[in-house]
Amino acid sequence: MKRRDFFKTSFVASAAILGSSSLSAKELQSPPIDNRKIGDVAFPEKRPLITYSDRPPLLESPRETFAKGITQNDEFFVRWHLPEIPTQIDLNSYTISINGLVKKEINITIDQLKNDFEQVEITAVLQCGGNSRSAFHPTVGGIQWGSGAMGCAKWKGVRLMDVLKKAGLHKDAHWIGFNGKDKPAYYEAPKFIRELSLEEIEDNFILAYEMNGEDLPYLNGYPVRLVMPGYYSDSWMKMLSNITVTNKYKSYFYMDHGYRIPDNDTESETPEKHYKPTKPITTMNVKSLIGYPQNGSKLNLNSHVVVRGVAFDDGTGIKSVSISTDNGKTWQEAQLKQENGRYAYTEFRFTYKPTQKGKLTFMAKATNVLGEEQPFAKDVLWNHGGYKYNGIDEVTVEVI
Amino acid sequence: MKKILLITSLLVGSAFAQVNGKIEVPYIDYKLKDGKNKEVVEANCFMCHSFGYMENQGAQSRDFWYKKVMKMKHAFKAPIPDEDVNKIADYMFANYGNGKLK
Repeated sequence: MKRRDFFKTSFVASAAILGSSSLSAKELQSPPIDNRKIGDVAFPEKRPLITYSDRPPLLESPRETFAKGITQNDEFFVRWHLPEIPTQIDLNSYTISINGLVKKEINITIDQLKNDFEQVEITAVLQCGGNSRSAFHPTVGGIQWGSGAMGCAKWKGVRLMDVLKKAGLHKDAHWIGFNGKDKPAYYEAPKFIRELSLEEIEDNFILAYEMNGEDLPYLNGYPVRLVMPGYYSDSWMKMLSNITVTNKYKSYFYMDHGYRIPDNDTESETPEKHYKPTKPITTMNVKSLIGYPQNGSKLNLNSHVVVRGVAFDDGTGIKSVSISTDNGKTWQEAQLKQENGRYAYTEFRFTYKPTQKGKLTFMAKATNVLGEEQPFAKDVLWNHGGYKYNGIDEVTVEVI
Repeated sequence: MKKILLITSLLVGSAFAQVNGKIEVPYIDYKLKDGKNKEVVEANCFMCHSFGYMENQGAQSRDFWYKKVMKMKHAFKAPIPDEDVNKIADYMFANYGNGKLK
């Protein structure tokens, strides 16, 4: 390359860089992509869902699932990380191994899990940290989920602490690593291992083998998964097969590089400068979604409309859900139904009579008992992983 | 009465044991857009994941796709030959790009 050419190229390149950062207006978040087409193919034990990938399976629940307090097993979202998932599970030989800094290494069968420990149940929301990622602008990397990478189910199983106690923790035990049966395509590739510190483990963290009164669906982690009420789903290990106790944090790829956000007050950064240090996404922020009506629904003039949806947070507790029909200028409180505990969906309903023809937008905003409320979509701050989006939801219908 | 209870509990115990045999996850034929180096992408990427996983990342910059390929190669140990790295990044940027280099 000639010297003059080099200058020409670098001038053009720097002009392009300047152009992209200084001339374009700051992009704002907008509601996530909605009404994606349901796939043509049903996955095992599932009805057809929004399908992003078959390997690993990535399935999203449609908006109508937010109209109910419990998400049915066959419409519950699916997110795996690794391509090789065992296609046959033999319950007679399947065990969870508890090893490392324990007094006695043990291998627990599903049968022992069901018979040798106190059985407990909890209803809790399971939400991917990247749920609603398609709301972020500029577009961040990762699956461009709409709002359906979440669901709420009743989980039955045994306390994680009871299982750890059975093996007996050494006094210097500090970190608990979880691994499932899924494997990467190449032996040297990182396994999907997640770690929790012992202090993080709550009494309501359970090893669940049942979901809504049925065996866990295969794609939701059959025969047993970790359940961590209030937390995003990244550590709810599916097809759980190994628990290793250590005294030191082990540096695993999926802990150090995945599911992390800026460790600052606003948990945000700019596309030009990613913030360091980072921290794990951990617990969920306050959020609500409208399940009915849907975008594009047609409602009759003067009809009796019942807007329905769900709200949740990290278990702090939902105090109110408000609805606006004037783009957020005024708000009216919806009725709440909270019958499955504070980690479950709070159901809301709001009756409304449309008295004007044309487009009508419903917005829903949840507030928890600490007064934390959802921001407008445009006010959600950006992070490059596209995590923790909780903008006010909106649905636009046509009154005819 | 006792007999009825027994039958009920048996039904509950067995009716929902759903994973007895071999599970088959359906294959979905995600088509990549036609374009230069498509065959290089097909040869390198499909071993570990569907094309749907790539197509559903949103429109991204050349830099994003290059870093993604390097992450697959180094962090995920995909045996992508050095000479294919830029070909894959170019194809993804040309067909699933946002027009921005960075």
